[in-house]
Amino acid sequence: MAERWQDEPWAKDMWWSGKTTRRRFLGLSAATAGAVGATMLVPAPWREAFGQAKPYKLGTLQPLSGTAAPGGKTALVGIQMAVDRINKGGGVNGRPIELLIGDYESKPDVGRRKAERLLVEDKIDAHAGGYLSNVCLACMPLYEEHKVVNIITVCLDTTITTSKCSRYTFRPFDFAPSQAVAAGPYMVGKMGKKWHIVYADYAWGQSTKDAYVEAVKKNGGEIVGTTGIPLGTADMTPFLSKISGSFDGLFGIFFGPQGIAFITQSFDLGLSKKYRLAGDGAMAVSTSLPAIGAKGDGFVGLDRYVPVLEGVLNTPHHKRFLDDAVPRLKAIDPSGPMPDRYVQSNYEGVNALKIGMQKSRFRGREDTMKLIEALEGLEMKEGDDFPVGDKLLRKEDHQAFQREFLYEVRGGKYKILEVVPKEKTVVPAACKFA
Amino acid sequence: MAIPFDQILIQTVNGLVNGMILALVASGLTLIFGIMDVVNFAHGDLVMLGAFVGATTIAATGSFWLAFLVAALVIAVFGAALQASTLRPLLGRDPLTTILATFGISLVLQKYALWQWGPSARKIQEPITGQFAMFYLEYPWYRVATAFFAGAIIGAFWLFLKYGRYGIWIRATMQDRIMASAMGIPVPLVHTAVFAIGAAMAAASGVLFGPLGGVTQTMGFDFTLRAFIVVVVGGMGNLGGSILAAIFISLLEAYASIIVSPSQAVIVSFMALILTLLFRPTGLFVPTPSSSGACWRCRRTS
Repeated sequence: MAERWQDEPWAKDMWWSGKTTRRRFLGLSAATAGAVGATMLVPAPWREAFGQAKPYKLGTLQPLSGTAAPGGKTALVGIQMAVDRINKGGGVNGRPIELLIGDYESKPDVGRRKAERLLVEDKIDAHAGGYLSNVCLACMPLYEEHKVVNIITVCLDTTITTSKCSRYTFRPFDFAPSQAVAAGPYMVGKMGKKWHIVYADYAWGQSTKDAYVEAVKKNGGEIVGTTGIPLGTADMTPFLSKISGSFDGLFGIFFGPQGIAFITQSFDLGLSKKYRLAGDGAMAVSTSLPAIGAKGDGFVGLDRYVPVLEGVLNTPHHKRFLDDAVPRLKAIDPSGPMPDRYVQSNYEGVNALKIGMQKSRFRGREDTMKLIEALEGLEMKEGDDFPVGDKLLRKEDHQAFQREFLYEVRGGKYKILEVVPKEKTVVPAACKFA
Repeated sequence: MAIPFDQILIQTVNGLVNGMILALVASGLTLIFGIMDVVNFAHGDLVMLGAFVGATTIAATGSFWLAFLVAALVIAVFGAALQASTLRPLLGRDPLTTILATFGISLVLQKYALWQWGPSARKIQEPITGQFAMFYLEYPWYRVATAFFAGAIIGAFWLFLKYGRYGIWIRATMQDRIMASAMGIPVPLVHTAVFAIGAAMAAASGVLFGPLGGVTQTMGFDFTLRAFIVVVVGGMGNLGGSILAAIFISLLEAYASIIVSPSQAVIVSFMALILTLLFRPTGLFVPTPSSSGACWRCRRTS
């Protein structure tokens, strides 16, 4: 009897022996080479329109697999919408944009590796993307080292434009302190004075929690407790079960599946009947609403974007944005969701970069400093480039300010409660560029 | 520091409920390891796929129970095909090969789910609504029912293994593959069937958990990690040990959350894992191999 059962004759036919002949190897190699060659012969879509004009290389790192993949997919839709629209409209400075996409698998180490590849091997002219704050923070020093402009399109961690700010990184949309300043008066004035905050216990969740604690206190409210829940926890019931006592509102800071879990499990435990439920807009984005269902009725969220055609958002440019985004989302998701804030901020982020490139007559990396100067203090006007409203990209910290929306979820739909103008979301700059 | 009685009782219920769902996931995982020596890194993704199949069936039929059955059957057939096409050819090779293969399958399944269903999360409507008062909380009946469903499935499977003809085949194959083959048991078929059963159990837990946290492409991650802790603490390949370990780990985390922060409470299960590996690598709930014949896998490897 053989020492290992696998070596027994009866076990031999249980798996393929794995023999590869030279003929088979050569045949497969020829087929692969043919397929690769054929792909190279097919011109890129922009070649037809721009002839020999050298394209700008725009890199985008997104989490297309791993825990943040669903958000990364919609974020990429926003980037592609903007690039397609720019190329269709004649490009930037007469040159098309070539989009180079990298999947960082929702991991910071992979993010750094992929960023390095985009910068060194692909020699990108600029980068627009990011989703998870820890990945954005991990990659920021690389853009600085290679002197390439980095447009953050989703990451919300406060320190990106405060203590860890970089001359090369811009965030052309809101951040937690602005959101908190916008939401604070409504929370304390119309929902209740005493709040308990439950948050995702990592970079973004912690900094957002700090901002809301400050905003609630500043408006005369009180924080009775905070609960940090580890990132990725699917069942929060043991932790939510501990929350009790006399207070008015329960505020959640989560995104994706954890946002869904927080709202549904708070309902299941009767917490949303006892307390007013509110939270960061990331908890109830349009791709999460079907899973939340009626359990989310009454949830009040604050967001930079709400996909509704009402009030200040009932404009022709917002309608055009929706008309472009909805079919693209339908193509990647049969349920046909409305665009979320990730689609919006990626779309507008690339448009901000476009305007900066036009203003600075950007040619490539050698003009990075000119591009930075053009982006600093950039005023973005409401229109097809910025369908959600005017924005200002502050020079001192590269942080933008825009109008914020307070909304309520009812019957699986958004209803805007209040629009906070961008002037009321401004907070002092807290950045010193190295 | 005095711990309030209501907290202890609430967390006991939480621990038992979570423990039973986890036991259902882990029992499939441990069964597959016990019979094939395959550490299935794609098990959490089978949970996710089952939940998506369930959500799709509910959207079409409106019936939770039909969705539960369809998901278990579809994923069982899929699991059988997966085992026959991908894992069977690797049997007997270096264990690292199967680990890498299942890891690859996991990535493919995640990408498939994202491609097939898109980034939107799906809803599974619970068949039992309503809550009962438990101190300051309203506790959902569905959570309690979930623990019973999971217990019933595990119990039925236990009986099948103990008394069913094919259950005896599985036990025989677990104990000694060569002898089982010599006795006329079709060992490769048993392997495929066990993988299918494990996959069906994963799908069943996905559908049961769906109403509690929504159906998302990433819902399997948390399950996979926790199920692996349970399988190691319970004793690799030991079904009874895994069930006890699932309840033990869930109760431990639930009680820990009374006195420490959630992040620290989660660490407790990792500590249990490290301590088990250091002081009792065969598993906490496994009798020492020579003292009893209760653990089939231990007997086989001894």
